[in-house]
Amino acid sequence: MARKDLLDIASLHREEIEFLLDQSTSFKKLFTRSVKKIPALEGKSVLMLFYEASTRTHSSFEVAAKRLSAEVTNFNVDHSSITKGESVRETIETLQAMRTDYIVVRHSHSGLPGMIARQTTASVINAGDGAHEHPTQALLDAFTIKEKFPDPRGKKVLIIGDILHSRVARSTSTLLQKLGVEVAYLGPGSLVPKYVPASIPRFTDYEAAMAWAPDVVYLLRVQMERQDVQFFPSVREYHRVYGITNTRLAEISDRGLYIMHPGPVNRGVELCDAVMDYERSLITNQVENGISVRMAVLDWLTPGGEFPKQEAYAAQQRAGSPVTMP
Amino acid sequence: MLLLQNARIASENSPVLLEGDVLIVEGKIQDIGSNLTIPESARVIDARGRILMPAMFDAHVHFRAPGFENKETITTGSEAAINGGITGVVMMPNTRPALDSATAVATVLENAKDRSRIPVYTSGCVTKNREGKELAEIEGMRELGVKMLTDDGDTTGDPAVLLRAMQYATEFGMFFASHCEVPELAGPRALNEGVMSYRLGIKGSPACAEEIIIDRDIRLARAAGAHVHIQHVSSKLGMETIRWWKSRGDVKVTAEVAPHHLLFTDEHIGDYDTNYKMNPPLRTQADCDALLEGLIEGVFDLIATDHAPHTPFEKAQDFISAPNGITGLDTALVSLYHFFVEPGKFGWDLVVKRYSAEPRRLMGLPVAAIEVGQQANCVLFDTEAETTFTKEFMKSKSQNTPFIDQTLKGRVDLVILGTEILLER
Repeated sequence: MARKDLLDIASLHREEIEFLLDQSTSFKKLFTRSVKKIPALEGKSVLMLFYEASTRTHSSFEVAAKRLSAEVTNFNVDHSSITKGESVRETIETLQAMRTDYIVVRHSHSGLPGMIARQTTASVINAGDGAHEHPTQALLDAFTIKEKFPDPRGKKVLIIGDILHSRVARSTSTLLQKLGVEVAYLGPGSLVPKYVPASIPRFTDYEAAMAWAPDVVYLLRVQMERQDVQFFPSVREYHRVYGITNTRLAEISDRGLYIMHPGPVNRGVELCDAVMDYERSLITNQVENGISVRMAVLDWLTPGGEFPKQEAYAAQQRAGSPVTMP
Repeated sequence: MLLLQNARIASENSPVLLEGDVLIVEGKIQDIGSNLTIPESARVIDARGRILMPAMFDAHVHFRAPGFENKETITTGSEAAINGGITGVVMMPNTRPALDSATAVATVLENAKDRSRIPVYTSGCVTKNREGKELAEIEGMRELGVKMLTDDGDTTGDPAVLLRAMQYATEFGMFFASHCEVPELAGPRALNEGVMSYRLGIKGSPACAEEIIIDRDIRLARAAGAHVHIQHVSSKLGMETIRWWKSRGDVKVTAEVAPHHLLFTDEHIGDYDTNYKMNPPLRTQADCDALLEGLIEGVFDLIATDHAPHTPFEKAQDFISAPNGITGLDTALVSLYHFFVEPGKFGWDLVVKRYSAEPRRLMGLPVAAIEVGQQANCVLFDTEAETTFTKEFMKSKSQNTPFIDQTLKGRVDLVILGTEILLER
């Protein structure tokens, strides 16, 4: 099935996920060759539309697109007006007029990439929208886990940290579950809401979470800047209660667990310095795999065709729903 | 002179419909009975068993003028009301400038005289510019007929300010309408906190943000000896809080519920559909069920739409950027019939009591009953027909409602106010 856009993990089928992960393996093999570039997207254009600051994801996409021989353009977002919805709508019309083939978008407003996708012929890739989804991060996480566990079914991943504000937690947990991996959340009660999906065990106590016997410990970045009201008293306390301290690292090492982190890490908060040198830390593998996974995504999507207008989409959404309610 | 034959007449007092003819002379109901003689000069309309009921009254609408005439005007808003079988409304004061002075209120009422075919009443702000700080000049507004004071759109944040306002204005016979929400808990997004807010990745507003202010404002009213009217209740515990205070009987509290809170849940938002974005937000099925229970039981004195128009352009933004609000005047009565009366959840007597009689009582107005001697103020409603809410059908300037292009059972065929037939389909 051809797809125009990659907006979320929730709507991806298992077959599509496995296809993408297989493709990523092939693309990764290119990296050891002296010429890493292939002509798959020659003559195609990729527009980078980042309303939120990002170094890693932005450059990962850029490298991926260039290795596929695509032209990459950065759309310079006027940061002074990014909070105004009006300017986003006008930007969408501008984007459509430019007729680029791919748009990679990051925005603090959940759902906004979907809106762009419905109003452009370009393939839209969600590079993170609010606390909603970050699908390529989930794909690279799954790819990294599969490198260690070729059959990941039944393996357990413990995601630690700020679940409430994390699009990574949402996308990665959804994807891992689709691959048969068990996922649990651990974090402060104020950041792991009680209404997370029932299929995800919720821990607020580190010892209890470790008793669940995870195979991978996945640390989320603590985002102090997203906290309008304090969610925990201090980073020192966070580190002591939920962080990977030296003592905890020793236990993790004894058990042979892997550690992952989407980056950038806060040393002394989510983890102690020693984690960075830990032999089963997959943090740099994740960065490396980000490129091959994003190449696979760009190569897979099919731009063009008819796009339904926003209004038509809304009408179609409603067609079956509320007014036929009980 | 107008003779309506073979109508089924609804009243607030009985679920049983009275079959008969109604004779209207010079805008007044002169006779009700079976097989009335046809006066020579009378126009005769055969109702063919359609429902004749007192016209509705909506005590919570946003007509956006002055300041936001791109969304709605007094003309388009009042025509939307007529379209939905409503012959009187109370405007909320969150216009620009806000209706916080006699001057602002006078301008609106003056405009309404020329631009509306139905009476338009307005509430006034509790505080200047709805900022929750300085008291508005309340008595000046009262002189112009304002009875309801509210900072609707927001809670009057500082309880000391509200308490003083209550102590002050109660002496003038005015009452307070409260939009209930702790701003620090609710945050800027109109989305219930729960499974959906997690799935959509948007900070939610917990139901307790509403429950707390409902309780707070009733306690303040009790302390001040004031009458508080709780607006657009959206939560189960909010309803139960009001029920508990009413059972005590030592404070004057009334409350309203909006059709959309009875009908929709946050699940309907689906993939960020902004037509389901309003404040207070849609919550869960358990809340809908409790609100319906509260309506039937009488915890809610009235139904009001909180008609809140926004332009298609504004609503076509992403969910976070789009403004809060849902229109309701064009659709309310038909939707109440389709979802509640027709399936037997409640009768026409409840509709008449809660959406016609009680809102008028709240505002100190005469009740529009279909009785001899009363002013003709009624609606003829066809339960066999259907209404499709196309853009063309809607008279509101905005169509931010999930009912757009949907077909529901029931149709408003005739709206009569005094000597005028305001609408005839």
